[in-house]
Amino acid sequence: MKTIAISGKGGTGKSTLAAMMIYWLKENISKSILAVDADCNVNLNELLGVELKTTIGTIREEMKAKVNDLPGGMTKQQYLDYKIQSGLVETPDFDLIAMGCSEGPGCYCYANSLLRDILATLARNYEFMVVDNGAGMEHLSRRTTQNIDYLIMVSDPIVRGIKAAGKISRLVKDLETRVNEKYLVLSRVKDPIHPSVIECIRVEGLQLIGTIPEDNTLLASDHQGNAIWPVIKDSYAFKELDKIMVKLNVRIV
Amino acid sequence: MSKSIAIKAIRGAHKIVTRAENELTKALKEKGPDARVEFPNTAYFLPISYGLLGMKIETLGGLTNLLEEAKKLLPPLPSETLNLPYLGHTLDAGMATLFADEIIEVIKYTREKLPYNTGTEPQNGNIWLGAANDVILRERGIEFVDGTAPGFAACVGYCPTNETAVKIARELQEKNLYVFLAAGTNGKSMAQQLQEEGIELGWKTRLVPFGDDVTACIHALGFATRAALSFGGAKPGNFREILKYNKDRIFAFILAFGPVDDEKFAQAAGAINFGFPTIADTDIDQILPTGICTYEHVVSPVLHDKIVSKAIEIRGLKITISSVPIPVPFGPAFQGERVRKEDLYVELGGQANPGFEYLYTKNLDEVEDAKIEIIGPEIDDIKEGSQIPIGIIAEVAGRNMQVDFEPILERQFHDFLNAAHGLMHVGQRDVNWIRISKEAKNAGFKFSHFGSILHAKLHHEYGKIFDKIQIRIYTEREQVLKLLDAARKAYVQRDERLAGLTDEAVDTFYSCALCQSFAPNHICIITPERSGLCGAYNWLDGKAAYEMNPSGPNQPVKKAKVIDAVKGQWQEVNDFVYLNSHKTLEIFNTYSIVEYPMTSCGCFECISCILPSTNGIMTVYREFPGMTPVGMKFSTLAGTVGGGLQTPGFIGHSKHYIGSNKFVSAEGGAKRIVWMNKDLKEMSRDILEKIGKKEGITDFYNMIADETIATTEEEVQEFLSKVSHPVLTMPAMF
Repeated sequence: MKTIAISGKGGTGKSTLAAMMIYWLKENISKSILAVDADCNVNLNELLGVELKTTIGTIREEMKAKVNDLPGGMTKQQYLDYKIQSGLVETPDFDLIAMGCSEGPGCYCYANSLLRDILATLARNYEFMVVDNGAGMEHLSRRTTQNIDYLIMVSDPIVRGIKAAGKISRLVKDLETRVNEKYLVLSRVKDPIHPSVIECIRVEGLQLIGTIPEDNTLLASDHQGNAIWPVIKDSYAFKELDKIMVKLNVRIV
Repeated sequence: MSKSIAIKAIRGAHKIVTRAENELTKALKEKGPDARVEFPNTAYFLPISYGLLGMKIETLGGLTNLLEEAKKLLPPLPSETLNLPYLGHTLDAGMATLFADEIIEVIKYTREKLPYNTGTEPQNGNIWLGAANDVILRERGIEFVDGTAPGFAACVGYCPTNETAVKIARELQEKNLYVFLAAGTNGKSMAQQLQEEGIELGWKTRLVPFGDDVTACIHALGFATRAALSFGGAKPGNFREILKYNKDRIFAFILAFGPVDDEKFAQAAGAINFGFPTIADTDIDQILPTGICTYEHVVSPVLHDKIVSKAIEIRGLKITISSVPIPVPFGPAFQGERVRKEDLYVELGGQANPGFEYLYTKNLDEVEDAKIEIIGPEIDDIKEGSQIPIGIIAEVAGRNMQVDFEPILERQFHDFLNAAHGLMHVGQRDVNWIRISKEAKNAGFKFSHFGSILHAKLHHEYGKIFDKIQIRIYTEREQVLKLLDAARKAYVQRDERLAGLTDEAVDTFYSCALCQSFAPNHICIITPERSGLCGAYNWLDGKAAYEMNPSGPNQPVKKAKVIDAVKGQWQEVNDFVYLNSHKTLEIFNTYSIVEYPMTSCGCFECISCILPSTNGIMTVYREFPGMTPVGMKFSTLAGTVGGGLQTPGFIGHSKHYIGSNKFVSAEGGAKRIVWMNKDLKEMSRDILEKIGKKEGITDFYNMIADETIATTEEEVQEFLSKVSHPVLTMPAMF
């Protein structure tokens, strides 16, 4: 199983990139894909054109609410497992699970440690896991996601965005999360990239793997609140993504 | 037992001893006392007399001594009018029979025309093989020791038809048992019946014809005795050791077919000494009460299609199943496998349909082992992509089975079913959900294989607890719904029973010495209201573990001779702890933190200790890395408490124990808690609120300080006064 995690600050087209990657994988390599929407501001499902049944956050709250009132004789592990397995959105091209919003007050250590185990076991069933991370990387820092093969940091072609990507890159280094390869993708590129951006990428020590142009087909779809899934294939952006994926050389082991 | 069976066995013994005497006298007259006697190629002399009496008989003259021993043991025939206890006499008569058998059989080897062929299989038309030599013993005996062959069935007499004989022999072979054939009746024997049907006889096929004579039974027992001498390391002459080895290790029994005469009763009496019971197909007198054998001694009449399973049950033989007979790979590596919708053939239970799994106990005669039934459509009757209801009912029976073990066995369904490749199982009880992949279906996986998996795995892992299991799989909605109701009622009852289990309600606790490998002087005492301090083991687990492995790390501890009921001190518990802590702990209070508290290995989930100036205790969870008000971090505290040290004022325990009515109950219970680390406090919120309610303390949860409120004992004290914590008005702890 290969894990691709995508992160970056809000509004940079992270989820669009995630959706395109899922599309690319299913077209080119395998449909055994677990898509994980780990952004608190859940929207990957809308881009992919599917409806969510529930989120992990909701399941976790439910469990906490009836911690001593679980169905007869069930352990918390079993309960969570059941709920998560049945909360999965299944499509012919991929399966999707959403993490949901961050935690309320109180201790989540126990619930999160159970979640880690269950998600790790679930993920083993797929050839690819594509994680659309929140800007704050909370799931990375809580280690609910582990062992990332490719971390893709997404940024607009502006200095502030590159700096944010640099921060994520450093955070990952400090955490125990194992990341094999890290790359930067510039998205929503309209004009030639400003030299100060290039310089910032160098200073932050990031490796640029490709750029995704602003794509009006995708934007229009998104603006109208429609799923971009059906229009990905013919979009200009997807052609650029293809180049990135070829460079990434994603393979099933 | 009835007098008549004793009379028959004793009468039979008299007949055989007399026959031995006649034959010996005749042989002595012909060959003289110095003529050699031996069974061919054995270093064990005449195994019965050598093993049980230590006699090394090598000559005809030596047999005279053995005959004397037989006569000494031979009891008088019970009087027709006076009732005496017969079992002892019957056993003695049996032993005398065995000695006489050995005399008669070994004399056969001095004759010119030996009635046996000395090979390992029938040759030249002679099917009878007589005594096995030492080569066979070493080659075959090891199978009894390593469990490849659990034991043997000695079959005497003949079956009503050849067909029945074949069926029974096959059934015994399937159970990996050796079939020893001896003692025909009126010139007819089961061995001949098998031969007539073209069945291959001999050591290779495990169908061993010893001899047609009734005394040839001795070759089976001789074999068993030599196994005890060579593999069990028993000393010749130590009859206790040899008989016990056979009772405990060699799962043998006698199947008697057709009429049972006095001589055969005498053989049965001899076998009882070895712990081998007799099961007959005809109506003979029974010897039921347990004593020598594991269960009954002589049982009859038993139908032919039941006789093998009945014999296995009576002998206490456990069937082991080494492989799971299903058409897909099976193993823990496949656990956690999700069958994706793309690959799905059929989905059972889950969100779309009702489902349940339920295991319960029945009587031994109501359960037929390995019987698997499907009620409703099988997988082949169902279209790809279907969603259907599922009900799995397992009925188990066993001499050691207890209602308390039902949930333990039922809990295993998840792990076992999940281990099949292409099978996804989630949940338990009435929240269960199974998916079967197209690949598994194409490989031939059927719903009935749920039963095969459960039968094989439960026997394999829990065979000590139960003897038989039958499984019914329901896939028809009406039926599932009907049974679901009944199952739910049972779940509720089960939960209520377990919740209601108190220390007072039981007379036995269980020890746990699992951690003694690294804390050699620590011993856990697990009670219904105090689980093991690691949180992993509760009282029921301890009880079940003891049933499975009576010499294992969980031993029963009698809660007897009360010394202090409030502190929870009993003389017998003290004695046990003293012995098992290698004499380092003399006294142990189950419910006190102050005086002689329970020791810890080092696996504890939580540590509680006294905060002396607050008159209360603090409790910290093992994952809390920060400083605690007692001035030590968890790791330092663990050093004080672990390793089997009894440190007054400190205990290690499970998280669950905080909610127990017996949590430091000698000092007033959980309302002594004045500080907890925040995560633990949060995890225990419901428990603490319940305690508050029970003790009539408003808002108890918020009266407990945590690291965000106080990090020193002084700060805790200040906080306690502010919130009027109940410890302020409680008696001093020490």
